[in-house]
Amino acid sequence: MTIRLSTESLTESFMATPASDSQLVISVEGVSKKFCRDLRRSLFYGVRDIAADLTGGRPHSDRLRPQEFWALKDISFQLHKGQAVGLVGSNGAGKSTLLRIISGLIKPDTGRVRVRGRLAPLIALGAGFNPILTGRENIYANMSILGLTTQQIKQRFHEVVEFAEIEEAIDAPVQTYSSGMAARLGFACAIYTEPNILLIDEVLAVGDARFKAKCYRRLYELRQRGVAFILVNHNSQAILNICDQAIYLTRGALVAQGEVNAVVDQYERDLFLNSIERSENRMVFPPKAAEESNGVDFRDLFFRDGNGQPTQTLSTGEPLSLCAVCEAHDSYSGVALDIRIVKVGGIESGGNILSLRGQNDDTFFQLSPGLAEIQLQLPYLGLVPGVYSAQIRLRKDAVYTFDVIESFRFTVISKQNVNKCQFYQPRSWALVPVVAPVSAGQPLP
Amino acid sequence: MLPELIYTPDSLLRRPRFLLWTMWRDLLASRELAWRLMVRDISAQYRQAALGIAWAFIPPIAMAVGFTLAKDANVFTVGETDIPYPAFVMFNTALWQTFVDAATGPVQAVIIAKPMLARVNFPREAIILAKLGEVGFNFGIKLILIVGLFLFFRVPVSWTVILAPVALIHLVLLGTLVGILLAPIGVLYQDVSKSLNMIMGFWLFLTPVIYPVPTEGAFGTLVAFNPVAPLLVTTRELATTGVLTEAVSFWVVSGLTLLGLLLTWIGFRIAMPYVVERVTS
Repeated sequence: MTIRLSTESLTESFMATPASDSQLVISVEGVSKKFCRDLRRSLFYGVRDIAADLTGGRPHSDRLRPQEFWALKDISFQLHKGQAVGLVGSNGAGKSTLLRIISGLIKPDTGRVRVRGRLAPLIALGAGFNPILTGRENIYANMSILGLTTQQIKQRFHEVVEFAEIEEAIDAPVQTYSSGMAARLGFACAIYTEPNILLIDEVLAVGDARFKAKCYRRLYELRQRGVAFILVNHNSQAILNICDQAIYLTRGALVAQGEVNAVVDQYERDLFLNSIERSENRMVFPPKAAEESNGVDFRDLFFRDGNGQPTQTLSTGEPLSLCAVCEAHDSYSGVALDIRIVKVGGIESGGNILSLRGQNDDTFFQLSPGLAEIQLQLPYLGLVPGVYSAQIRLRKDAVYTFDVIESFRFTVISKQNVNKCQFYQPRSWALVPVVAPVSAGQPLP
Repeated sequence: MLPELIYTPDSLLRRPRFLLWTMWRDLLASRELAWRLMVRDISAQYRQAALGIAWAFIPPIAMAVGFTLAKDANVFTVGETDIPYPAFVMFNTALWQTFVDAATGPVQAVIIAKPMLARVNFPREAIILAKLGEVGFNFGIKLILIVGLFLFFRVPVSWTVILAPVALIHLVLLGTLVGILLAPIGVLYQDVSKSLNMIMGFWLFLTPVIYPVPTEGAFGTLVAFNPVAPLLVTTRELATTGVLTEAVSFWVVSGLTLLGLLLTWIGFRIAMPYVVERVTS
């Protein structure tokens, strides 16, 4: 039916590979952790816990004390060699806490965690960087903290510098670096510790798009070598790009785990309100009250075919319009649509496949109160079959955003063969008789 | 097969052999990191100071000048000292400063390393070892001053000077014990670092730094119960006269220090995960 079928069968074959116990790198068994929101009480509990532990153990560590809550409750999962699992969930769901327990920074309150292999936390880019010292000195300090011997650091030093692209600044103090340079250096140090397990917490947001793409490439290489990943990211796109499994946490509880597309879908469904109707290649939004609105809201996103009829089938090479039905609460001029499209599931694709912006095309619309449909008309659809995610933004004069849809997912299929093509090229072939032969060296007219 | 690490809520005290083994392993594993951290801290410390290593000399000299002037003006009287008074004060101040460094160092170092502690699971001993190395380095610089001082005042030196480092190490270890004991609580409560200066000021007053060991009165009893006194006095006596006046209390305090250090180290290891847990990253 669609290309989605083939990605599913791919994941199935991946999951079917025998994962024996010897390949188990992380096993989390019934882990819970409680925290306290009140600082004074939290510090006091800390002292009490220390005292209890020093006298031989904490009884009832599985019970809540006043003002405590479960930051994690009864989490279990396993991670095998070469697997990549994404942790999704809103802020405060317990993702970072889970990573901190796995890396052994804090003790679980119940359950246990087993870890086999060198674990590198990319929670800590540039841990221990001293701004006064030079990049060179900081590389040595930082990589030592991450557990490497001086000998090992010497071997990797050049690779790190090269990856971070700071050759010319290596002997300058880190405080003279731009934030991007410091972040690159931190990432390079962490990634070259050659871990068996990588814990990545929201750190891929650093640097420019080119460097980001380079990081993703490096992560991809590491995965090919059998490094296991746990990735935390608010951007579910990054998770879909890298991971094959996902875990969805809400307020410390594990809601779902399994194949990444299904889990991320469920997470996004919960995130974008329950009232959103999501049918294939269409999104419908309930009306917003005037006081909740920023002026103009999306109400419906869908496609129309070449005849102007609504369609759910998007075929490569056919004419298509992306239609956004908007509701304006007032009169506005200078309204433009911003569309960025990324491919879902492509690891090497770090950036957008398409970025179509109304203001770049000098196309602004005048909206009056009520409903209106803005169309992006494509004479033919250039995207090859696959699953895509579009970020659609409704803006005014390139500065003010009325409304934004973070992820509008759609599936493209093909009626013709576009295998081995990156995009669809409209074309025709011809056979033309030659009147006068063109001799070599003679310039073409 | 790679070794497996297991994290559970149970107290490590229930597995003492495992605990001691991990302590030994981490101590060995942290040597190189400690060296790196020490090099980092020392270079950073002197790179942003115009006077550089002169900062190691200035406090003892200032103390010696101040107290010598005060003594000459008969503001206060002290008993007979076995070496010239300015040299006495300067040498003692250098030793006392080293003790204070060793005691306050771990608390400050752990507080500064908070972001690192909250994110990376490295052997925590490295922070303490790095600080100890720094204390040693700073004392090494003060040693230049002390040697100059001994030459200038023609202080007689006994052969026992070769034993002085042993006593000095015990003095530093006592300071480290205090530091490690306070470090975990110091991260949680700022009260510790706030009160530390005041406590050290009072402690200095109870230590025979600017006066020789008092023998009588309530003050004498108070000083007699100060564990720093025998270590400091013995270090000085080994380096100068070679006649030990507090040998017994020196060995008692040294023994207790070594035992106490092991216990506080265990406590430190057990406490740190709870401390990290209460510190936001």
